[in-house]
Amino acid sequence: MSRHADLDRRTFLKRVGAAGAGAVIASRLPAPDPASAQDATVKADPSARRGGTLRFGVHTAPAHFDVHQSGTVANIGAQSPMYDYLIRRDPRDGQTIIPDLAQRWEISPDGKKYTFHLRRGVKFHDGADFTAEDVKATYERIASPPKGVVIPRTPLFSAVTDIVALDPYRIEFRLKEARPRPFMLGAFASGWNIIVRKKTLEDNAGNLRQVMAYPGTGPFRHVSRKDKEIWIMERNPDYWNKGLPYVDRLEVYHMPPFSPELGSALLTGKLDYGRLLDPVSWRKAKETPGMTAAEFPQSVIQAVFINNKKAPLGDPRVRRAMHLALDRHALVDVVRDVAPMLVGGFVYPFHELSTPAAELVSKRLGYQKDTKAAVQEAKRLMAEAGHAGGIKNLTFLVRDAATFKLWSVAIQAMLKETLNIETNLRTVQISQWFEEAAAGNFDLGISAIVSTLMDPSDYFTAWYGKDGPQNYSNWTNPAFHDLASQIEREADDGRRKTMVRQAEEILEKDPPLLPVSYEKIYDAWHNKVRGQNPSTFFGIYDVVRWDTVWVTS
Amino acid sequence: MRKYLLRRAAFGLSTLIGVSLIIFVVLRILPGDPLVAMFGLEGFAKLAPDDRARIMEDLGLSDPLPVQYARWMHDITTGSLGRSFFRGEKVSEIILHRGPLSAEIGLLAVLISWLVGLPVGIISAFRPNSLSDNVARSLSILFLAIPGFWLGMLIVLATLFWFNYKTPLVVVHLWQDPWANLQLIVGPAIVLGLGQGAYIARMARSCLLEVIREDYVRTARAKGLKEALVVMRHALPNALLPVITLSGILMGFVLGGSVAVEQAFGVPGLGRALVVAVIERDTIVVQNLVMLYAVIFVFINVAVDLSYAWLDPRIRYR
Repeated sequence: MSRHADLDRRTFLKRVGAAGAGAVIASRLPAPDPASAQDATVKADPSARRGGTLRFGVHTAPAHFDVHQSGTVANIGAQSPMYDYLIRRDPRDGQTIIPDLAQRWEISPDGKKYTFHLRRGVKFHDGADFTAEDVKATYERIASPPKGVVIPRTPLFSAVTDIVALDPYRIEFRLKEARPRPFMLGAFASGWNIIVRKKTLEDNAGNLRQVMAYPGTGPFRHVSRKDKEIWIMERNPDYWNKGLPYVDRLEVYHMPPFSPELGSALLTGKLDYGRLLDPVSWRKAKETPGMTAAEFPQSVIQAVFINNKKAPLGDPRVRRAMHLALDRHALVDVVRDVAPMLVGGFVYPFHELSTPAAELVSKRLGYQKDTKAAVQEAKRLMAEAGHAGGIKNLTFLVRDAATFKLWSVAIQAMLKETLNIETNLRTVQISQWFEEAAAGNFDLGISAIVSTLMDPSDYFTAWYGKDGPQNYSNWTNPAFHDLASQIEREADDGRRKTMVRQAEEILEKDPPLLPVSYEKIYDAWHNKVRGQNPSTFFGIYDVVRWDTVWVTS
Repeated sequence: MRKYLLRRAAFGLSTLIGVSLIIFVVLRILPGDPLVAMFGLEGFAKLAPDDRARIMEDLGLSDPLPVQYARWMHDITTGSLGRSFFRGEKVSEIILHRGPLSAEIGLLAVLISWLVGLPVGIISAFRPNSLSDNVARSLSILFLAIPGFWLGMLIVLATLFWFNYKTPLVVVHLWQDPWANLQLIVGPAIVLGLGQGAYIARMARSCLLEVIREDYVRTARAKGLKEALVVMRHALPNALLPVITLSGILMGFVLGGSVAVEQAFGVPGLGRALVVAVIERDTIVVQNLVMLYAVIFVFINVAVDLSYAWLDPRIRYR
């Protein structure tokens, strides 16, 4: 006889009654501490030292204060420590997505609903309670900015149709069609998407460009700021993540990137941590006892755009020939003392969906150290396209920056020597470059373009999409556009990877641009700074909060 | 004297009006706008033409040029000088915060140029073609030839690698911490002062060589006066007039040179603010700072003219 058979009606009712009473009592008990309830939330390390000041040198001063509207680390570098996101990249590896203001989240099986459960008891720096209405106001602004406001991350949320505050601590994002989960979660975890108060947005007509210290919920609070010099913040004693941050005071120094000034300030101990160091200072820091140096990839591609509307550059064979004629290892070397770079193709070479960098460099034409085979193929293609004798008088639009000026001369020589393509360099100031490129006043043009996410679905449209905002080459390829559209909607990671590889093949055969290199970031710090090593980070936009960093003296 | 003063002031004012027009027009015809600095590469690329036009309108850059110029002149007369395009900071506050540092650098540089240039010039003039004269002349040519920003970078690197030293990173005013303030200004002042000192030395030498051959100097010596008295009382005052004129002109070079030298030393003065504003295409800040430099330059030149008249009584009667 089974045990259930021994259970008489009276005993059963008693047990059900006891269980019901227990459930009622449990529901009346106080909720567990929000931070401890979420295993993946960053927790304070009891061995970390508390107090002290962290002096961080990063970039020149922001041009305005609206992080949502910005696209430069000038804002992120200085302002991020004052704000939180819905979810975040784990500061320990820079990649894993973990809870932040959202304690947990659910994604509906069809991928069309993202529901975030928000922390309770979180307060903005002005004392106001954080609720789902703030998240709703923040994301409605990002997804559909008001008139006069331009937010580069808007396209990430193009599938979002409704943002609904289900109750003060639950918010739901409804999508018109599913997007790959890593893409959507990456978009929510982007460091640009700081949560701001609904009231702040209302009080400033949705534009925070000239509002210096609007309240956040972050680990540090604004204290003072001197334009183009320093931004001082103090520990937020009411931070929801108890025990964090460790340092009492954060000083952010505005210093030009890749400058000897930044390097010397770090090397002489005027700074504890330096970001965007020039290669010479970084190498010096690496050799200096008591200092640590790290490098990591950044979401920027340096490329030569080819105006597809100008003959004979519309011919894919000519573009591929030019693509194969570049000695990319030499190009990386040309700027080795100016800016750190690495060889890559049309997809971020360090992303899991792309062809691994080692395979690219060892097997693929155009990326190998020995350029003989690539040049031979390039010559064959030029002959096939009817340009065996070369091409003359191409205008090469060069952005006025040290790296581009060095590269343009080297590329000019490479094209001339290998394919007898003659170019005339025209160096112009940065905004003029973008104006002329957008107007199509060039044959070749060298510059850098960026993306928010490493995920191809972010930049396939912007860089290579028909009428994409950064498709300066005016390139179109129906097969690629179809594939990119499928990649944007494919939920299965394995199939998506295969499709990205297929897209790479198309881009190799019909290049929309000539990839020159991908940017790396050089960081270095004195060893008294603990709790951060960005070696595994992807880019400098997602993890700049300093909540888990401490100083030993 | 009053007539002379008025004439010089009128000349100075007309110069400033001309300078303001040049600054204004040049800044408007230069290619590029501030939107890249404002939005970054990605944001700029994603700006729709309508958004761009709207933002340029908000910044006041879409108004007709005469309207923009009139607005600027109004700002100058009210003393507000307008606000930065970017962070909305008042230009007058930028000048008040950073100006003292640049002024200290300029004044210290002039002082150094006189302290170095005059003795060197005197020694050279009174012992022409001697070893000391040859050394002094060689050094003055050297400092004339070396660009200030390059010498500045060498000093920064030398102090960094040999002494592991770097100046303070933020503005420290004299009244806040004199020692930290001195660390900020001394490097640029020495570089600028040595460069100007070379000019002073050469001018003082040639003027003194001319004056010491005059009869009254010979007479002073014949009376048995000590050489120091001959130099200080009789020769130097008469040789100083061209040196004073030159100093006024050199002050302009100090102002111009301070832009590059402040950048080389990483000193957060007005020169550096100007460089950043140029990079950002912050037109309002650039035009006001350049105008400020022009005003100072014109003022110094008028002051030099007046001091000239005071030192040489013959001038005021002409």
